[in-house]
Amino acid sequence: MSTRTTNASRRNPSHQGNAINNFDAGATWRRLLSGSWVGIVIATIILFALSPAIAHGSVGSAPLLSMLPFAAVLAMAAVGQTLVVQQRGLDLSVPGMIALAAAICTCMVQSHGWPAWLAVIVAVVAPGLVGLVNGVLVAVARVMPLVVTLGMNAVLLGTVLEISGGSPATAPGGLSRFSVDRTLGIPNTFIIAVVMLAVGGIIAKRSAVGRRLTYIGVSVPTASALGIRVTRYQVVAYGFAGLAYGAAGVLLAGYTRTPGLFIGDSYVLPTVAAVVLGGTAMTGGIASIVASGVAALFLTQLGQLLRSLGWNDAQQLIAQAAVLAAVVLLRQAAPALRGLAQRRRQRALPAVG
Amino acid sequence: MTNFGSNGPETQVRPPQQGASPGPTQSNHAASQTAGQAAGRAASVLSMQGIGKSFPGVRALDEVSFDVRPGEVHALVGENGAGKSTLMAVASGALAADDGTVLIGGDQLTHAQPEQARSLGLGIVRQHPALLPDLTVAENMALGVGYKRVGGLRRAVAWARETLAPWEMNIDPRARVADLSMEKRFIIEIAKALALNPKVLILDEPTEHLNAEEVQRLFTKVRETVATGAGVVYISHRIPEVKQIADRITVLRDGQTRGTFDADAVTEEQIVERVVGRKLETVFPTKEPVPADAAERLVVNGLSGPGFENISLTVRSGEILGLAGVQGNGQAELVRALAGLASTSGKIVVDGQQVRGGNAAAANAGVVYVPADRHGEGVFLPLGVSENIVARTLHKVSRLGLVSDVLIQATAKDQIRNLAIKTPTPETPISSLSGGNQQKAVMARTLLAAPKVLVVEEPTQGVDAGARVDLYKILRTAADDGAAVIVLSSDNVELEGLCHRVLIMSRGSVVEELTGEEITEAAIAHAALTSTSVRGQEKTRPEKRRRLRAWLAGDQSPAAVITVIVVLLGLGTGLHNGDYFGQLNLNNLLLMLAPLLLVGAAQQVVVMGAGFDLSVGPLMGFLVVIASYWIVDGGNLVLGLVLMALGAVAVGVINGVMVTWFRINPVVATLAVYMALQGIYLSLRDTPGGTIFPSVAADIQAHFGALPLVTIIAVLLVLLLELALRRTRWGVELRALGSEPDAAERLGVKVRLIQFTSYVICSALVLPASIILMAQIGIGDGRPGLAYTLNSVTVVVLAGASIFGGRGSFIGIIAAAVLAQQLVNVSPFLNLSPAWGYWLPGLITIGAAALYAQLRRTRRTGAHA
Repeated sequence: MSTRTTNASRRNPSHQGNAINNFDAGATWRRLLSGSWVGIVIATIILFALSPAIAHGSVGSAPLLSMLPFAAVLAMAAVGQTLVVQQRGLDLSVPGMIALAAAICTCMVQSHGWPAWLAVIVAVVAPGLVGLVNGVLVAVARVMPLVVTLGMNAVLLGTVLEISGGSPATAPGGLSRFSVDRTLGIPNTFIIAVVMLAVGGIIAKRSAVGRRLTYIGVSVPTASALGIRVTRYQVVAYGFAGLAYGAAGVLLAGYTRTPGLFIGDSYVLPTVAAVVLGGTAMTGGIASIVASGVAALFLTQLGQLLRSLGWNDAQQLIAQAAVLAAVVLLRQAAPALRGLAQRRRQRALPAVG
Repeated sequence: MTNFGSNGPETQVRPPQQGASPGPTQSNHAASQTAGQAAGRAASVLSMQGIGKSFPGVRALDEVSFDVRPGEVHALVGENGAGKSTLMAVASGALAADDGTVLIGGDQLTHAQPEQARSLGLGIVRQHPALLPDLTVAENMALGVGYKRVGGLRRAVAWARETLAPWEMNIDPRARVADLSMEKRFIIEIAKALALNPKVLILDEPTEHLNAEEVQRLFTKVRETVATGAGVVYISHRIPEVKQIADRITVLRDGQTRGTFDADAVTEEQIVERVVGRKLETVFPTKEPVPADAAERLVVNGLSGPGFENISLTVRSGEILGLAGVQGNGQAELVRALAGLASTSGKIVVDGQQVRGGNAAAANAGVVYVPADRHGEGVFLPLGVSENIVARTLHKVSRLGLVSDVLIQATAKDQIRNLAIKTPTPETPISSLSGGNQQKAVMARTLLAAPKVLVVEEPTQGVDAGARVDLYKILRTAADDGAAVIVLSSDNVELEGLCHRVLIMSRGSVVEELTGEEITEAAIAHAALTSTSVRGQEKTRPEKRRRLRAWLAGDQSPAAVITVIVVLLGLGTGLHNGDYFGQLNLNNLLLMLAPLLLVGAAQQVVVMGAGFDLSVGPLMGFLVVIASYWIVDGGNLVLGLVLMALGAVAVGVINGVMVTWFRINPVVATLAVYMALQGIYLSLRDTPGGTIFPSVAADIQAHFGALPLVTIIAVLLVLLLELALRRTRWGVELRALGSEPDAAERLGVKVRLIQFTSYVICSALVLPASIILMAQIGIGDGRPGLAYTLNSVTVVVLAGASIFGGRGSFIGIIAAAVLAQQLVNVSPFLNLSPAWGYWLPGLITIGAAALYAQLRRTRRTGAHA
């Protein structure tokens, strides 16, 4: 898959070459539509601005407070998905990872008498370890990421069944209280997500490690030729992705109190949608953790808005799919349309001259 | 200096730098001028007039005119990057020229389509054979020359054997191309092109992979071709060979023709002069001798690796060592090994410290590598120039462990100024720079790293003349700053101008060393070319092990292996619990097998074309829910079935359009469809409802003897697919698409159409699967369908299809579906917990994928060794 897209992008340089010569509005549009965080930030602001006009009471302190924790969980999971997509993968094990974290921090306390703090730590670390296994399978054994994560998802769900014995358990009180509580009026979950995004964003954009992850995502051969330990970095990326899912799963369990066994199932598409909306290229490399987080906020608010318009969960699924499809279509179509316009202009030139 | 006139009617030539004057060896006589241009052109089998082509920053072709008469071999010579390949890409319709016209056999090439060029009578043999690695020799040839000429796929093997016989290369038409050596692939390519009886045949560097004997056989064939009245374009940089075979020679330099000559009327030296077109001194910085006391920076001792053996060399600080030889004699592999990119035995010592381990160890020791494949390995195309420049030395632009944009800017601007890199801004993506400026940015990155050992591969390939001069200065400066520099180049002039010493490699070892005054272009070429005459064939593995390996990596082996597992697992479970072999269970197993078979086959169709369809599961659910409104008491069976079929095809079309025409990542596209379908069926039926009409359900589950009818039909359908895959055009083209879409397109496969139909066929196969599922669950509920997405992938992976497309078998699908269904079915009989229902398919999927990945990897590397 990836080879084909690189070929496609290689066919493009003539367009890009022309773009430098004429700084036109098209360039700005292209920036907005492809790989830039500006687009999603503007879209989110517009969404929040329009929400009150579309549905009364879709923005206010009560709906905001009920929306933010879910946005936070989705944002954290999207961080993990961003890391994997940056390495030209796609993580379909998100449901299993979140379910595993939720199961560990609820069932282990309720049924096996673990102290809450231990359960929480294990619940975050265990998905991280599973992520490392994913990474090894992808980077060392060279199995296609999609197959690895799809298979791993099944393994994780089996594990959840085994741990829980088939019935959901209740989260320890401390965790629930923390997840529901607010600090200075802001939900704790949201604060944690913001801190995680900030730290993740800084590491990704400002540290040598983050930059190298970008390089590897852009081109493994070039990164290797530079002397970067490609395999190690890739495995670590999958590991961190696991940690992100773990943290998301723990908070989700705390907030929902008694999480369903397969609570993670509804998180695959939204994380992918958030990553795509955030401008991360599916072909890897250029990625923005913060933009994915903002996109998570956008998606959750969109859901909130639709819900206040009376859409049920099934219809929400359709809406999410439509948004995702629309954005990828637009992004793919934009350069083609521009190219078409350019060709028309070029064809016109010889006739004039 | 001799000057050649070149003012013929068909060859519009810019005055060469030395100044043109009509010479004695003018190729196009005044007489033909009076005959009129039109007549001259009509007589040519290939006529190109005023061809111009620009790439960003480079004028690749400028007013180039070129013609080939019937019955002649017209050679096109020039340096790397002179525009030869671009010109021929235009001629063959692979590339659209900005201006100019192309006539093939007198007819104009109106569109840049390889298909049209071919139908007009143009054949081309590329430097890199456009063969599909996952297809057999016969299939490749049939695809290349058209099925009619071969007499249908059925005759392809016999036809290929006949066609290849005169070459005496012992090529098995049934062998997969990926398993063949480079020279065999090349022979196939040539044989294929000749079989088309082209009016004009283009041979692009045809002797690179051939030994002396094969070269002579090729020449015989070329003369035979010409004798029938066809024209041949012969592209090469080996002047002696060109002199031997060509009737006329056209020289191309920096995108312009520098004259067309009768081969008999010019000497090799005269051609070389035109090819090089510059005095060495003006281009290369002066060579200062290396001080006698310079330290030994790099010592290599007895280094062996893939492609080279027992290499020992020493490079001193300030010295530039050249590596030469005909391409493919181990130079490139040696250079990569020095950069730590290949596993080796032997010693590499930098500044007295032995380098152990991979690329990172080499980098830490101060080895900096500049690869030849600039786009693939040299730069990060979508990233900015500044980012590319600092990529290797992030610590130098960091403060307190954080990378500073201010420092990056400062460093990058410094380098951009010093090396005169032409870029609009430092943030401009490097992909929009010209080749020369990209290479300068790579050199800037390299110099920042203060290399101890600088390993440079083809430093000026695809670089325009101006930037070349700058790059040579940069290399010289690096050496003067104390680096040991190794330059691998196929441009002997470059080696002559730069190097203190040149090593010539052949068959993986150093065969000659030239130092000081001995280094001349001619001497290097002589050494390289004379040594290649003893080039041998590839080593072959012991026959027995090779066969086993080939079988294991083949398409049908997984089916056999899986069948054994199925039998063993069945026997084991049966012994543990006798009920396993009961009529009830076996019947159940076989019935449940049918939908899995169909969905697996559906997924296989898409995967074979290097696609992916995650939406099969929810599509099943969606179709079942549709059915639950019509195929019920008081409903309309036919209408229900029609609606289901329409739904399936519509989903296939949507997937296909998104992936094929909008080039959306198939996973993203089908994931969106996955969620949308799930949303739709949940909106239609939030809870199960609508009982499927019992008699219909019973009919669907009817038996034929002891076997469920649907299972028999499903197996037959899958077998039919296997037959279609091997025996029909569609099958070959689907595998071609999955194998290498670009090459397939060049061979005239309608890639988009095949890709699009693969998604539609996939969804169409889901239809019968959902009808069976509908009968099994008996009620309108979409959720049971979901699991089939993972199941279909499991089946495909178990069946051993390369998940990257191009290979696999439907026989394997049958075996894999049986195993997958057995795994689900077996756990209750073994008293396993429900968790095993998830664990087994998950683990088996991952395990099988990992196993096949390893097998394929050893095969690939085995083929290269």
